[in-house]
Amino acid sequence: MDYFRNIPVHMDFDGQHKAEKLSRIIITLFGAVGLIWGYIIQQFSQTVYIVGAGFVLAAIVTVPPWPMYRRKPLIWQKPRPDNEQGDSHQKPKKKK
Amino acid sequence: MHSLLSRGNAIVAYTLSLLACLTFLCFLSTLFVDYRTNATINTVKVVVKNVPDYSASREKCDLGFITFDLHANLTNLFNWNVKQLFLYLTAEYTTANNALSQVVLWDKIILRGENAILDFKSMNTKYYFWDDGNGLRNNSNVTLTLAWNIIPNAGLLPSIFARGQHSFTFPSEYTVARL
Repeated sequence: MDYFRNIPVHMDFDGQHKAEKLSRIIITLFGAVGLIWGYIIQQFSQTVYIVGAGFVLAAIVTVPPWPMYRRKPLIWQKPRPDNEQGDSHQKPKKKK
Repeated sequence: MHSLLSRGNAIVAYTLSLLACLTFLCFLSTLFVDYRTNATINTVKVVVKNVPDYSASREKCDLGFITFDLHANLTNLFNWNVKQLFLYLTAEYTTANNALSQVVLWDKIILRGENAILDFKSMNTKYYFWDDGNGLRNNSNVTLTLAWNIIPNAGLLPSIFARGQHSFTFPSEYTVARL
């Protein structure tokens, strides 16, 4: 079970941007090719099928959080210890 | 785009928008196509009877019986934005009572991929040629025209008249014998 829990499932911000851009490029490209091919053979159904193929490819490439979308993780500051003086003026009020 | 579902939602929405755009382009590409073509129509047998119209007033009205020849090659009308043609043959005439009467006598659906070369000889009409009075006997100017509706994938639903029509005269005597 630990093996499955340790599979990372998130994308970092840069990865999300890349995934969206990539999915748009793939679907648009298939749409353009499908339109031209459908016009050549005069079958609009072929255009729809090619767009469908582009959708499937885009879904496979950009929906699962592949490792390629996790290359630029945000570097967070280390958490400060709880008993520090800096935020002590907030916590006592809640306790009362 | 942070979760599986939001990414799935985004690409489904984008695919559907794109499909709508492509459909619109398909419509634009066929917007100015000229769908008229030639048709040759001829009548073979022309008979008029005077019989009671039990479906309406029960009074005696004129009922025409015609058979017709029809030749037309509609293969060129089909393109990627035409799913089927609905052909209909109309008779137009004027009588003393009506400035213009139009009666649909026959129709046919041609799906894309079916044989679109029409070559009919002595076809019977599909529908009754009723007049609403006694305007058919001796009527010297009855015009048959072929027209079609184009059923597209997307876009307009135009009604196109074929080039070529046929005018004929009904006989001056009613036929009494059974046909």
